[in-house]
Amino acid sequence: MLRYTAQRLLFAVPVIFGVLLIGFALLNLVPSDPATVRAGPTASAAVITQIRSEMGLDRPLWEQFLRYVGSIMQGDLGTSLVNNMSVAEELSRSFLATLELIALCLVWAVPLAILLGVAAAVSRGGFLDRLIISGAVAGISLPVFLIGMVLLWIFGFQLQWLPFTGRGGPLWTLDGFRHAVLPSLCLGLIFVGPVARITRTSMLEVLGADHIRTARAKGLEERLIVGRHALRNAMIPVTTLIGLQIGYLMGGAIVTETIFSWPGVGRLAVGAIVANDLPVAQGAIIALALGFIAINIIVDLLYAVLDPRIQAR
Amino acid sequence: MTLVPGSALPQSNHARLLRRLAADPLAAAALGTLVMLAAGAVFASVLAPYDPLRIEMTRVMQPPSAAHWFGTDGQGRDIFSRVLFGLRLTGLMGFCAIAIGGALGTAAGMLAAFYPRLDGLIMRLMDVLLSFPAILFGLAIAAIIGAGTLSVIIALAISTIPLTARIARGAALTVIAQDYIAAGRVIGLTDTGLLVRYILPNCLSTIVVFLTLRLGQAILLAASLGFLGLGTQPPTPELGTMAAQGINFFFFAPHVAIIPSLVIFALVLATNVLGDFLRDILDPRLRG
Repeated sequence: MLRYTAQRLLFAVPVIFGVLLIGFALLNLVPSDPATVRAGPTASAAVITQIRSEMGLDRPLWEQFLRYVGSIMQGDLGTSLVNNMSVAEELSRSFLATLELIALCLVWAVPLAILLGVAAAVSRGGFLDRLIISGAVAGISLPVFLIGMVLLWIFGFQLQWLPFTGRGGPLWTLDGFRHAVLPSLCLGLIFVGPVARITRTSMLEVLGADHIRTARAKGLEERLIVGRHALRNAMIPVTTLIGLQIGYLMGGAIVTETIFSWPGVGRLAVGAIVANDLPVAQGAIIALALGFIAINIIVDLLYAVLDPRIQAR
Repeated sequence: MTLVPGSALPQSNHARLLRRLAADPLAAAALGTLVMLAAGAVFASVLAPYDPLRIEMTRVMQPPSAAHWFGTDGQGRDIFSRVLFGLRLTGLMGFCAIAIGGALGTAAGMLAAFYPRLDGLIMRLMDVLLSFPAILFGLAIAAIIGAGTLSVIIALAISTIPLTARIARGAALTVIAQDYIAAGRVIGLTDTGLLVRYILPNCLSTIVVFLTLRLGQAILLAASLGFLGLGTQPPTPELGTMAAQGINFFFFAPHVAIIPSLVIFALVLATNVLGDFLRDILDPRLRG
């Protein structure tokens, strides 16, 4: 297990290097010269040269890159061009909001998806199966923003049950929870389809296995067969595939945050890109990428724990 | 010649495909929808009753009517005309991205399978690309070269490469193990000849099925990036961008945002249903 963990972490190194390189490129290789921008339009050539050397822009690129990596290691991601706030500070606040949203979505969406997948597999070929499969295909084809709009219209505007803009505070307060309901519902709905489909496929495979036939032959109750013997084995591929779907979820989260004005990393990144605020854009993209890499590592390790055969490979 | 799984179809299978299509009303309906949407996109300039860019401030946010089938948007532009042109652009973006990314991914996968010395290098590179979700490429490229149609296509193409490479490599490995490839080597065919004339055609159906399944997601992502303001810039009609503009006055005129979104849904749903149908017939191994 230790060896597998080390291997997995080692593989992350070039990936993280690539991420930092892109972040660096974003800040330094864009057409506009940062020194000229900082000096202002009326500055003389001498002033610009001075600022260039102060910012280290006259050093070789690799040295600039090392310095950039060094400052990121120290948690210094620069300051926003728009409001002069520290990027690291803004990021840590918005990262929490995004995690909150994703957690609240997974809490209901994953169990529901697994339940639907199992129900479809057990009633294979029947009406329920076809209903769930069609629902899943429709769910995969729905643009997130369409789901968001429908929720907004019904619960926010017509019924006025729930607030639909911004975050109301921490999740455990009533107001914070009420604000998070619609966004997490929106995000979860795009997640149920793919996970239900995967669960169904995986369940069908396991239900056809020899040990299930043996369990049936010895007269075990169907409920126990499905719940205890089949589902546990079926969960292995489902776990990995949930991990693979995290990227899809991240895309959904960015759109969801935009619709419901949820102050998360995705909204921060999009706003910064649109406003040409490169330090914030760079920081948010790096944060999203690193978060995604971390989740992938966790899922891979979890997979190895669930299925000991993996480590042997 | 033995027929390897996922190999190119002999002629009789096309007839089988048509028979299966006739027996599957859902797939037939999906095909019909796709043909209709494609026709609308291709003949947009003939079919559109109005200029999609013409602003008429006296007819702002009108609900659907006989004069404007889908109503008018926040600047009095005819939504039906804009949807036709938007369909063209959104579809084209997804299609281009899949074509470019699919071609590059296929080339990478073929080379990795054919030259074992390149295998490790190419596939590790693909693993690195696979470490990032498509939406992140979208954000990064929009930040580097600016938001626009081109950056969306590049981002989607890049994100299509690694999975296609995996599929292509897997399919190519099965083909390369066949006797006729060894025979080809014996009679002195060049590597290029083997790859292009024998290996590629025999992997094509697997790759095409995979890319069809991928097309729906690509279109959805293109629209999402447009919705976020990172794709095609207004006033050019693109379905995701149109939905985003409609959100600004959603409670007064919901149709402005809802109609383009429903069209995207119809397009992606039809693509996905048809993709599933093709997979079940041509390459059941991809199921999962």
